[in-house]
Amino acid sequence: MSKVTKHKTSGSREPFFKRKTAIGYKTEEKTVLRGYDLSDLAEEGYSLCDAIFVLFQGRIPTDAEEKMLKYEMGEFMEHSMSPSAASAIAVTAGRPNLPAAVAAAVMTFGGAHGPGAAHGYMMNKYLERALEEGKSVEEIAKILVDDYMDHNQPVMGMGQPQHRDGDPRAEPTHLKQEELDLDGIYLKLQRAIEKHFHARRKKEGRSYVPVNCVGAGNTALCDIGFSPNAAWCIGSLVRGYSCAAHAVFTLKKGRAWAASRNEPMVQMLDLSMIKYVGPLDRRVPKLSERQDYAKKQREEGEYKQWVI
Amino acid sequence: MGNLNENRIGNLSDPKLPYDYMNREHGTVEPDASRHPFRWVSEIAYKNIHRIVTRGYDTTELVEEGYGVIDVMFVDFQARIPTEEEEQMLNYILILSLEDGLSMPAAMSRLTARSKTFLTQACGASILAFGHAYGAYAAIGNRLAEAMGKVQAGEVSMEAAAAEYVREFSDDEAFGVSDLMLKDPAAKRLLARAGKLGVAGENVALMETIVKTAQEASTDPVDIDLLGAIAAVMADLGFTPEATWTLIAVTRSIGTGAHCIEEIEREGHTRLGETLTPKDLYDGPGDRPVPPFAEGKRQAKPAQTHSLEEWKAEFERRKELNGSGYAIEEEIEDPSQASH
Repeated sequence: MSKVTKHKTSGSREPFFKRKTAIGYKTEEKTVLRGYDLSDLAEEGYSLCDAIFVLFQGRIPTDAEEKMLKYEMGEFMEHSMSPSAASAIAVTAGRPNLPAAVAAAVMTFGGAHGPGAAHGYMMNKYLERALEEGKSVEEIAKILVDDYMDHNQPVMGMGQPQHRDGDPRAEPTHLKQEELDLDGIYLKLQRAIEKHFHARRKKEGRSYVPVNCVGAGNTALCDIGFSPNAAWCIGSLVRGYSCAAHAVFTLKKGRAWAASRNEPMVQMLDLSMIKYVGPLDRRVPKLSERQDYAKKQREEGEYKQWVI
Repeated sequence: MGNLNENRIGNLSDPKLPYDYMNREHGTVEPDASRHPFRWVSEIAYKNIHRIVTRGYDTTELVEEGYGVIDVMFVDFQARIPTEEEEQMLNYILILSLEDGLSMPAAMSRLTARSKTFLTQACGASILAFGHAYGAYAAIGNRLAEAMGKVQAGEVSMEAAAAEYVREFSDDEAFGVSDLMLKDPAAKRLLARAGKLGVAGENVALMETIVKTAQEASTDPVDIDLLGAIAAVMADLGFTPEATWTLIAVTRSIGTGAHCIEEIEREGHTRLGETLTPKDLYDGPGDRPVPPFAEGKRQAKPAQTHSLEEWKAEFERRKELNGSGYAIEEEIEDPSQASH
């Protein structure tokens, strides 16, 4: 049952803690982002994408850069069922406040799902190395691919488990970047990574693994000036919008708890969805037997196979 | 494994139990073949190996055609392409939502970042700041919708609906009219922009009537605030209160991503045990010796009460301990007032 909380307001307009910040300030008269009055930015006709450039880079972007970000955010926003949307749906099943479901969705972005920052850091690291070692971008791309593949590490930005023969968003993003004349050093590096990656897999008789949306989208974000973390923030939060839609849909049209037996389709959390592969059911030892039982269990060591 | 049913454990063989616990079946439940197997059911989007499709539109085709993230928000939440004016209006609103200084979402993002988390955890934490006081878009939106429903049904006039709204919610955080923006014109400019773009409809009209009514009823100066302006315009753009709540929260958390980054850049991280709380911030019970265990148990007073008077007296006493939770009064929905 939802609750409405009655609280008095604090009456204080002081910030929760003091910080020097270069991002923005807020007075009784206005809210200012990197020197620009937010209301003036909106009045002047700038877009959310323009404002995101101001937020992370402190500058108004070119038309082409704004178009690129608009494209990237537009294509990355909705991805149907991925860990983020699934989380939003699962959390909503418990009927918390909606922000909890959206926050959970955003928090799924980690080392495997949309690892945008890691891809950006990888590119920066190897570009730096190229500079230090006097290598060309082409040469350092091959070194990067070999470094990762020699150590059986996945090359970030390559492969997507669902879009096995080509993420529908990825290659068009590369083309859009080129069409908008935004192909900078990052796209040059990414294209070279892909070339050497494909060549090596082919040489090893392995299947074709295309570029994914992180490899393409994050490359574009880097070329239009976003840091790895800023790019990651944009990517994961824009997905938050669509996950919010999935959460609202589940809230309004899905069954709470997701386990009802009255639905024509077996629900996500129906008991029959559970497949158990752990230790067999066993007798709970009497508390008086505990010490002997526990020592024997440790000696036998069978439990170790289950330790996670 | 032994005979699982021979064991007697605690109260589990007590005849007062409505079932024979120890003889209940073990093992997982067989797949239910009488119903359709589970699938992710969605009205919003699907994907296959080759395409991602939302509300019938291929997302790559959308962006190649020149649509952007704002358009996709309309598609995801409303299954429609917005007019140019609607797209411009949502852009405008989201720009205003991007930054709010060192308010709660930024504070939560920064505090989370100090633990050396993923950036996404910091941003997620900032979304959690959106409740029923800060950014109460679901609360205000649903109230406006209810008032508008009465107007549309011909039950009351716009003025009467506004008066009822003011009577009922004027002391609530999700009112939409306050003294917060008497010097900041952003909320009024937002409404004016909605009018200029031709997207202001009956919700803006209702909100303007509410503002007028509230100003007449208030002894102190009040005016439309950002919550009220955004809630009304978003409703006129066709977004549900829940959609508005989440769209604004996510936009704000893009801004808090920058706060997360800046916190790490300028302030660094904090280790467990590092943060001290000076005693002069403490006003709880005075320092006291821990009693010997046996004495402590002997003197322990049980919490149970056995009469209504005793319960009430104890309840009131417990309110005196800050942090116990007893001083927080929450209202739950009254099922007798439910409309369905």
